[in-house]
Amino acid sequence: MFPLESLVDVALLIALVLAVAPWFGAYLGRVYLNRPAFGDSLLTPIESWIYRLLGTSPRETMRFKEYAFALLLTSGVLFVWMYLILTLQAGLPGNVLGIPNMSWDLAYHTTASFLTNTNFQHYNPQASMSLWGSLLSLQVAMFLSAGCGLAVVAAFIRGFTRKDGTLGNFYVDLVRTMTRVLLPLALLASVLLVLLGLPQTLAVYVTAHTLGGGTQTLYLGPVASWQAIDLLGTNGGGWYAANAAMPYANPSAASNLLETGLMLLIPLSTPFAFAEIVRRPGEGLPFVGTILIVLVVGIGLFLFFQAGPNPSLLGLHGLAQNSLGYPTFGTESRWSFSESSAFQVVSIYTNTGANNLAIGSLNPLAQGVLLFGMFTQSTPGGVGTGFGMLLVFAVIAVFVGGLMVGRTPEYLGKKVGKEQMRWSAGLLLLHPALVLVPLAIAILGGFVVFGGGIASHAYLFTSVLYELTSESANNGSSLGSFADNTLFFNLVGGTVMLIGRFYPMIGMLAIGSIFAEQEVLPPGPGTLRTRSATFTIYLTLLLVIISALLFLPVLALGPFAQLGF
Amino acid sequence: MIPADPAPPPLPRRRPSPRATARHLRAAVVLVALSVLVAGVAYPAVVTAIAQEISPGSANGSLLIVDGTIVGSSLIAQNLSAPYLFWARPSLNDYNLTLGYDGAPGPTTAALKALINETISYMERYGNTTVNATLPISLISVSGSGVDPDLVPEAVLVQIPRVSAFASNLTGQNVSIAGLTALVNREITAPLLPGLGVPYVDVLSLDLALLAEYPALLQAVGGP
Repeated sequence: MFPLESLVDVALLIALVLAVAPWFGAYLGRVYLNRPAFGDSLLTPIESWIYRLLGTSPRETMRFKEYAFALLLTSGVLFVWMYLILTLQAGLPGNVLGIPNMSWDLAYHTTASFLTNTNFQHYNPQASMSLWGSLLSLQVAMFLSAGCGLAVVAAFIRGFTRKDGTLGNFYVDLVRTMTRVLLPLALLASVLLVLLGLPQTLAVYVTAHTLGGGTQTLYLGPVASWQAIDLLGTNGGGWYAANAAMPYANPSAASNLLETGLMLLIPLSTPFAFAEIVRRPGEGLPFVGTILIVLVVGIGLFLFFQAGPNPSLLGLHGLAQNSLGYPTFGTESRWSFSESSAFQVVSIYTNTGANNLAIGSLNPLAQGVLLFGMFTQSTPGGVGTGFGMLLVFAVIAVFVGGLMVGRTPEYLGKKVGKEQMRWSAGLLLLHPALVLVPLAIAILGGFVVFGGGIASHAYLFTSVLYELTSESANNGSSLGSFADNTLFFNLVGGTVMLIGRFYPMIGMLAIGSIFAEQEVLPPGPGTLRTRSATFTIYLTLLLVIISALLFLPVLALGPFAQLGF
Repeated sequence: MIPADPAPPPLPRRRPSPRATARHLRAAVVLVALSVLVAGVAYPAVVTAIAQEISPGSANGSLLIVDGTIVGSSLIAQNLSAPYLFWARPSLNDYNLTLGYDGAPGPTTAALKALINETISYMERYGNTTVNATLPISLISVSGSGVDPDLVPEAVLVQIPRVSAFASNLTGQNVSIAGLTALVNREITAPLLPGLGVPYVDVLSLDLALLAEYPALLQAVGGP
């Protein structure tokens, strides 16, 4: 029944992205090395003008504290701007639907959500966001949050190449990310999406007179341009509540495939940008390998669990015998089972968090596969920060490996010492702490109301676990099964997202700056070769085992319990 | 053994002066302001201008217009519950575009079973199952968007006896099963490329084609 042969186009898509990634990654590396690159004649004068407006220059370089301060200050200014727009949007021109101002707690959650590249939506867009409210606040954050992620990881990587403790210039990194990466790619992707049938208009809605004699409000808007940066920047917020399942946001199998590719492009290219910046060809390959192993196994497990019958539907009177349940319930008809699944796994594993099906109706074990992608946060993870997290895992792997064989742990000629490990361990433990502590408070404090049978209890538990994991990992997808626009979930969720975003970013900059203060050691006989298949497999196992150990107990209470184990 | 850290080089102790903070604040404010203008205004405006030029039909919502009236969009399902029309997939919220899938029952809950049983009995009441006494699950299952306009061909073919019976009854004409089958087969959208997507039928377009083919039915309905 399932056209598994259409997995071929998914495989071809991943192969195509992998074919482009070395080239695009090298370009990305040159962007952050400030080396001559394609587009200089047009963009360099514009950038010089912007630097003058900002009062900075590429010759100015920043140490850890200044870089982090610039990141936090820029994010802070954006936070204030977004919060003001959301709480005052009713007065903006063109508010034809009469959308009211957002309540303060929902505005806090929404601002934090888009600022942190999460795009978790506790609201229904067509009822809560006006056209210019969306564009002036949320869409700007979709660009800048992705840009900040790339800037931070570029600074982190530079730590391996410098000896003077500097990391680069945050403003220059962010400006060049916008002018050279995000804006041109988003423009190109928008035009392709328009050609594939997405609406792109400044009209908010039209009214249709249906065949049934009623009316239907068809909500429109600049959907193609929104969807392009949404996926390219691994944001994942929907113009519509149904996100990429909505036919207007994803009208065909072709658009579905293109959107899958958009999510993969930057995350799969970043390892190559890393190799370019540290000037060690091939050093990105272990990361590409690790990402591919986890991603492909994730897609495989997801397909395996989803293809199985839904036991609670078996034997229903009047249902065709070849009807299995899981693949159809909550999915769309215009693409195949495997195309649908590949989009969904890629979306969660890149921490985009868009959905082209109803995650809440998936096989509980498939929900578990998605949760696992949010546990690792790094296979490949969101734009910039996902690779940064993978680099943290690599540093840990080098350290543990060095201790096991009694060698001095060093990575790319830089010693891995106590200080880097202190930060790395903190980053590892932060994620479970941000998920499990609020989860316990939500459950024990009665902030969710349990009812129904055991399956309903386990489903609601999974929903709350999923929500908090999604917020901590800056993912943004949800099961959509309980009312989360409450004071508790807005305040706790917003805070979890902010900490889950900015603490790791500061940690990455700190680790980078410690490396940036060291001399580069020549490789000796005791150096662990990181450019090898052995290291790839070792890194994969370390990452999978650590992530599984941190979270396995709650998986038993959530997804596993839904099946009645 | 944890190796000792190399002695850190002495760093010049620099306190951020108020002037340096003001410089940063200026950079941050100007950067955000520029981004608002470029990413928030210019970018969607430019794409809109391009889209209205190169693909006005889809850029304005792929609207289906009959005699000057917008009857819907070829991308969005609507309530087609009249028994002489082909039905799209059920919706939890009456084909409202804004609600998505929120609030649907969990995959293993009793509520899901109840929902599906209710849908099945509704379908059976209208005789949808007379072909082989079973229903394809896509006809009774809610989609991810709630407004999925498409159905796999077998879920459309299974409705033909019902449509034929009610439409013949309403118009006094013979709306034959063979004629409807030919109509459905004409309306199947094949994959763009082999292996890219699956064949499906856009139900609203099918119903419009049905009404166009049987004007008597259109008159009986009272026109769109």
